[in-house]
Amino acid sequence: MKTVADERDPITPDDADDIRAIPQPSVVVRWLSAGGTWVLLLDVAVVIFFTALSTNHVFWSLQDFQALMLDGTETLLLALGIAMFLGAGAIDISVGSNLVLSSVLGAEVMVHVMGTQGARGGYPHVLGTLVLGFVVCVAAGAVYGAVNGVIIAYFRVNSLIATLGTAGIGTGIALLLTGGNDIGGLPTAIQSDFGLSTVGPVPLPALVALVIAVVLWAVLRTTRFGTRTLAIGSLRLAAERAGLRVPRHLFSLAILCGILAGIAGFVDLAHYASTTVNGHTNDALAAITAVVIGGTRLEGGKVSIPGALWGAGLSVLLQGGLVVVGVAPFWQLIAVGIVLIVAVCLDRIRFLRRASA
Amino acid sequence: MADTAETAPPPGIAVAGKHLAKRFGHVKALIDASVTVRPGEVVALFGDNGAGKSTLLNIMLGIHRPDAGTVVIDDREVRPHSISEVQGLGVDCVHQDLALAPDLSVVDSMYLGHEVVRKGLAGRLGVVARREMTVRADAALRELSIKLPSLTVPVSDLSGGQRQAVAVARAVMWSRTSVLMDEPTAALGVRQSAIVCELMRTVASRGLGVLVVSHDIPRVLKVADRVTVLWRGRTALEEPAGNLSVPDVVAAMVGYQADAS
Repeated sequence: MKTVADERDPITPDDADDIRAIPQPSVVVRWLSAGGTWVLLLDVAVVIFFTALSTNHVFWSLQDFQALMLDGTETLLLALGIAMFLGAGAIDISVGSNLVLSSVLGAEVMVHVMGTQGARGGYPHVLGTLVLGFVVCVAAGAVYGAVNGVIIAYFRVNSLIATLGTAGIGTGIALLLTGGNDIGGLPTAIQSDFGLSTVGPVPLPALVALVIAVVLWAVLRTTRFGTRTLAIGSLRLAAERAGLRVPRHLFSLAILCGILAGIAGFVDLAHYASTTVNGHTNDALAAITAVVIGGTRLEGGKVSIPGALWGAGLSVLLQGGLVVVGVAPFWQLIAVGIVLIVAVCLDRIRFLRRASA
Repeated sequence: MADTAETAPPPGIAVAGKHLAKRFGHVKALIDASVTVRPGEVVALFGDNGAGKSTLLNIMLGIHRPDAGTVVIDDREVRPHSISEVQGLGVDCVHQDLALAPDLSVVDSMYLGHEVVRKGLAGRLGVVARREMTVRADAALRELSIKLPSLTVPVSDLSGGQRQAVAVARAVMWSRTSVLMDEPTAALGVRQSAIVCELMRTVASRGLGVLVVSHDIPRVLKVADRVTVLWRGRTALEEPAGNLSVPDVVAAMVGYQADAS
């Protein structure tokens, strides 16, 4: 090891790796000790468990996994937004109602512009309708997120309270617009061309969500935006003292969270060719659970995108598995709840041990 | 102590507050307080609790605006409205604690808000050049003779003294005229305080003005070139540090000299 005090030799980039090198744990050890890894192992265990338990191992089928992936897509999209926002120490529990409101608005617009059915059952401007529907969903999600962002970032309202409030408002507006009835009759192309189509073995919506996950993972690890997000969540005062515009950053994160909820809204429409206004009351909880199980810290400053992926996977695997083995799927809620509590307890223990060290 | 004799006499003002007054409601925090820091010197700002040290510092940092008086940075009168504005003028601050985000690595902490991005498209997307930042942060730390186990570990893995050293290095890196230090040793042990005090001299020897607010009179008196003492919102004493002993400073802090003059 080099002595530092009196050595002034020019440093070349090649030296950068061994400068003051302290032994770093190997990649494998670091990966195993990462928060989300044990959730991935749990996922694998759950798959093996249900495969062994299901008659003729029907759980282990491509069709089944495709269905699970599609089910998990919306949770994953919402979880990604929440993970990013939690990185900066704020939470959005209104993502479920954002999803519903965005999908309702998207569906309303699509129903109005799609025109009348032609003689052969097709619609005149299918592609235009779908693109417009997507744009409306994303824009609605972004506006919803922006409203959250203004309240949280500029009025400095606690994010839990702010989004609790907007969750009620969003759901209320969606129910008012629809009278509580789902908007159906969307062009079937939304299913055949997007919602239920696959790229290789992967459902297209799931692929989109996975690509977004990879992008956000890279954003967190390699970009200025990611570093600043974690700095704000780690210690807001330090970020402010470093001259960061913290409110503006939180505002952008709130919009990002909203956009992802809007995309999830479109995925929901594409999945069922209809809105599901009453089917998303637990979405926010499921997404937060996925994120926290995966090793993202509730207080901010630490985010695991892979962990969010494995966490979202766990809840759909449990749900699908319990159905396959013939157990009431309500057990899934209980099982996921237990995993959540265990995960948070483990994190707490690790934190306390570190604090006392 | 200070080697300023070798160079030409300090040309101008790195940072100064002149005849500052500030009241918060009924409380007159500052009545007529002045402090001047020239390039290359360490000025110690002493004062009892409530003497107005923090208010003075916060005015110079743009956090508060004065009711009267002026702030001078780099020989120019300025009216700063925010920390980032003051930072833009070349002044940076080291706080008592909570200066660095514990989850960020040393490198990321030093470059927070000043990140170097890569060239080309990646840079436009905000991808940071972490390798380059690491090399440059390492050089900056070496120049201040700061020893750290690693630059890639999170700040939470460092000792209190190491953290404060990184905070100083960070401030030095981004300041062009002066570094203000608010109780930089208050949370530190004896040896770690000594390291930070030594750093003050190193920083000054690079031509920056250093203003230190501290309660650690004996130690800071040893490294300071000049001393300013505040008493009840007024400047009670301005003297070269060499002319002063600890009791002199304490006397001024409790108002003895102010009463006598």
